Amino acid sequence: MSAKKFFETRYEKLGWEYEDVKPRQAIRINFINAKKANVVKRLQSLGIELQKIPFLKNGYWIRKSEFSVGATSEYLLGLYSIQEAAAQIPATLFTELEDKVVLDACAAPGGKTVQLADLMRNTGVIIALDIKKRRLTALSNHLERCRVRNAIVYHMDARQASRVKVKFDRILLDVSCSGNFVTDKDWFKKRTNKDVERNARLQREILTEAAKVLKDDGEIVYATCSLEPEENELNIDWAIKSLKLKVEKINCYGEKALTSVFGKKLDSSVEHCGRIWPGQTQGFFVCKLKKRGCAQ
Amino acid sequence: MKQIKDFVSRFQTRISLDKNLLVKRRDRYFLLDDSLKRLISKDFFYAGTYLGKTKRGKFFPSFNLLRMIAEEKANKVIVDKKTEWLFICGRDIFKQGITEVMGSKRKGDYTLILNQHGECLGFGRILCNPDKAKDGVVIENISDIGDFLRREK
Repeated sequence: MSAKKFFETRYEKLGWEYEDVKPRQAIRINFINAKKANVVKRLQSLGIELQKIPFLKNGYWIRKSEFSVGATSEYLLGLYSIQEAAAQIPATLFTELEDKVVLDACAAPGGKTVQLADLMRNTGVIIALDIKKRRLTALSNHLERCRVRNAIVYHMDARQASRVKVKFDRILLDVSCSGNFVTDKDWFKKRTNKDVERNARLQREILTEAAKVLKDDGEIVYATCSLEPEENELNIDWAIKSLKLKVEKINCYGEKALTSVFGKKLDSSVEHCGRIWPGQTQGFFVCKLKKRGCAQ
Repeated sequence: MKQIKDFVSRFQTRISLDKNLLVKRRDRYFLLDDSLKRLISKDFFYAGTYLGKTKRGKFFPSFNLLRMIAEEKANKVIVDKKTEWLFICGRDIFKQGITEVMGSKRKGDYTLILNQHGECLGFGRILCNPDKAKDGVVIENISDIGDFLRREK
């Protein structure tokens, strides 16, 4: 059986019929930099056709552009970022962000770090970590371009986040994952079930560390762009049972997550996570977690 | 700190920086706020507002610092839409592209380059008084925001 067929069959068993989905480019207006400038009008005057993304406050799809939207003055001035629609969802799931101490545990290249800073109105503190040093330069350039003032960046493995000796109000775990076929045309040639299992183990280690550095009343948002349940529902089911975390209800684009995976019954609260099958966006999974025993 | 102040003074202005919140990491300067200062440890890679770096004794400003200068009364030149794009592509500025000059017009002085929205695109060196020049290049491009694209290559 080909790798593609193998994964297609898996998705069918999970209730989704494979379809070839082309990625759609999207942008996110950086509200804090753009409040004085009518970015949408400015881009339209350049001949760029935009379509508002209905489930995002500051997101637009690029319907048509004769040139790269990464080569405009407005982009270079940090008035907007190029960020896929589903990838704009995780940072919006936190209840409050202004003046909070936030961990962005796998931060590079910084799209979500910039979005967090925007939602925080540049208040509070973001501690941004990434394990790959060469990616920190891209992250730093992104922060400078988008005028982020509230971030501290460390070259650090998310599994060692307790080394910064800070307890966090909010933690974004946009963890390294197996990805999905929408954003990588060679995905089916590259990926095996072994990769998925290895990534799932790494993600559990990151979740474990995050639970250690989370304040008692804090929130974790866990996200992957993987379609594989090992990296999503199964990891969250494990976190509920092993890390004393609970799933919070979220209201966002997508479907309820799976509570039965390949015959295995999961904790019923896992359905409150969001699973986004490829379609209007790439594939994605999001989940909000809190410590068990803390007041709502 | 002195290098930053000396650089800013070339735009015939000053900005106030709290030296208690200024940190240097290797050759790069960053401005923190009290919240960041409380939580930062010395092995950081990037923090707060990046102000610029020194290389072989010379100071290279960040675009954050240029924006901070642009908020003050300083040497500024506003350019038209076409010149804005040419400048971002690394070109010098021709007299015809300038719509307004504020502050110094003296040869050798630094000036900020702003677009029609008053947004800072970078800075350059005045080559000749724009009022007196008939045409041709009047400002040499030293640094522009197109650098963000060039850094990625």
